[in-house]
Amino acid sequence: MSGSDDAATPPAQPLTGSRVAAAGLLLLAGLGLWQSMGLERWGIEGPGPGLFPVMVALVFALLALVVLIWPGRAAATEEGDTDVIDAETRQRTRAGFAIYSLSLLVLAVGAAWVGFTLTSIAVSVLIVRFAEGRSWFAAIAYGLGCAAVGLVGFGWLLRVDLPASFIEHAFFSLVR
Amino acid sequence: MEALLGGFAVVMTPANLMYCFIGAFLGTVVGILPGLGPLTTIAILLPITYKMDVTSAIIMLSGIYYGVAYGGTVTSVLMRIPGEASSVVTCLDGYEMARKGRAGSALFIAGVGSFIAGTAGTLAITFLSPPLSRLVLAFGPSEYAMMMLAGLAMVTYMSGGSLPRALLMAAFGLLLGTVGADPMSMTPRLTFGILTLGDGVNLVPLAIGLFGLSEVLFMATRSEDELKIIAPPKGLAGFLPTAEEAKRSIAPIGRGTVLGFLVGLLPGGGAVIASFLSYAVERRLSRHPEEFGKGAVEGLAGPEAANNAGTAGAFVPLLCMGIPANAITALLLGAFMIHGVTPGPTILERQPEVFWGVVASMYIGNIMLLVLNLPLIGLFVRILDIPRVFLTPMILVVCLVGVYSNSGNADDVVVAVVFGFLGFFLRRHGFDLGIVILAYVLGPIFERSVRQALSISDGDPAIFLHSPLSIGFAVAAAVILGAGLWPRRVAAPRG
Repeated sequence: MSGSDDAATPPAQPLTGSRVAAAGLLLLAGLGLWQSMGLERWGIEGPGPGLFPVMVALVFALLALVVLIWPGRAAATEEGDTDVIDAETRQRTRAGFAIYSLSLLVLAVGAAWVGFTLTSIAVSVLIVRFAEGRSWFAAIAYGLGCAAVGLVGFGWLLRVDLPASFIEHAFFSLVR
Repeated sequence: MEALLGGFAVVMTPANLMYCFIGAFLGTVVGILPGLGPLTTIAILLPITYKMDVTSAIIMLSGIYYGVAYGGTVTSVLMRIPGEASSVVTCLDGYEMARKGRAGSALFIAGVGSFIAGTAGTLAITFLSPPLSRLVLAFGPSEYAMMMLAGLAMVTYMSGGSLPRALLMAAFGLLLGTVGADPMSMTPRLTFGILTLGDGVNLVPLAIGLFGLSEVLFMATRSEDELKIIAPPKGLAGFLPTAEEAKRSIAPIGRGTVLGFLVGLLPGGGAVIASFLSYAVERRLSRHPEEFGKGAVEGLAGPEAANNAGTAGAFVPLLCMGIPANAITALLLGAFMIHGVTPGPTILERQPEVFWGVVASMYIGNIMLLVLNLPLIGLFVRILDIPRVFLTPMILVVCLVGVYSNSGNADDVVVAVVFGFLGFFLRRHGFDLGIVILAYVLGPIFERSVRQALSISDGDPAIFLHSPLSIGFAVAAAVILGAGLWPRRVAAPRG
């Protein structure tokens, strides 16, 4: 990636992204307004459940429109920078990022269907093996380690509820 | 004084001392790790505290918050990498001192300055909170609503981005706070017929999604550069500053403590702004401003004291008014509420053991942090050797535990993932998500005050301007928002 490419890409990218974000938020505001318009705004006992959401959704929509037209200056994040990703890094990490995103989806689906242990192993394998390119052995061993820490540390010792499948049921029937 | 001693009695149990230590230790670790901030950590650990006693839970979570300021110093001084935002200024002169072979001295001055400021800030909480709570008790719903409006205005002004963007995030947070059953009539609102949303968007999946999961996505986009660490001294003697360095640090620590605490009291204030302001003040007052950025002791001592005092100051509006000054204290407010405690003026009467227990734990936590930080710096620095490949799966697993254990409902994990992607996208384009959490937590309290005030006045909005106090808050909100619309000059830090 050439330096000129780097110089050309960053200023335009966040501005466009800000507008896309503002458009998405405008859509959310519209949905919120549509839902809250059907609620009672004033009743016998005074302000109804719809008053505040309508007010907030209107302000939300107006502000989203303002940012859509005039994106303005980006805020600093907790890390103290604007988290704008340069083109070179984006290119290099695109595949890795896709796998990390997939691991989040696996987290959501796994919690509902396959329990904590298998989800932890699947997420670890995805990241360690496919996103970071380590060996299968490292990926599976680390996944088992994460699952064991969760099961023993959180599930058994701290008695925290975990997504359950036959594995968790079997483990807890042994130790609890 | 008797009440504070009662607080010490609460903390001095083995369990609470352990939780205080765990909080301080975790805070230090989180402060050292760049990227993983206190907000993410508190969000992830919040559900794990459900089965704990409320005082123990808050003691631990508070320990993380004030421990972070200590940990962030280590990487700032030894690597020029701020572990978290309030340590950014420390990089300027702390790292330069380390490069000149004064790393031990820099860490000692920062550690002792942080301890003095943290303890002085806790002393101020001890003596300021009771009278302030009595004052707030006199507030009616309209004063409360206008105070929250002014607070939200201040937070949006302090966000650093353009005002419309910050206000947009505040409105987003307020709207999210209205999702679910209306607390007064139990009418479902903004649920779109989705059963999961019937109880509203829960704080835990929202916070873990916006900060924990989005952080993992950010980690995936960053390259892992080799870290260059200046070795800390081996023995304790290597940490002692020279007489000249000690003398030069006394006044900045004092000024930083006072300034930091006052800034911490403001909504939107806290450690980050306190440290930047202190640096500016010290440079202005210094006889050798040319030394700033090249290893000036004052440039290290003042901001380090200020960020710790700012952290302590932020507890005052949280505990006395039930109003969080920033996103982290908003999460702590959420933690209080989840445990059935409502911070605010009545906490001193209804649950004094919680209030004074937390305050007493801050004295002990600061001592623990001082003892932890100097001898164990070498050990803490090694945490940075953990590669991303092993950090991210563990964060995801802990996030999963945190979200699921909150309600035992797998749908909450879906909610967290949705907010994870949304949070990543918004953060990437420079939207401040801290405001979303703050407004989300404040939203229901704000709405209740607005509705109560309008019920009293039979719908007349003039009630919001009926008392001098309400007018004062309204004027403050208008001035702050007006100032925010004024084009701001962005000054790059010199040095």
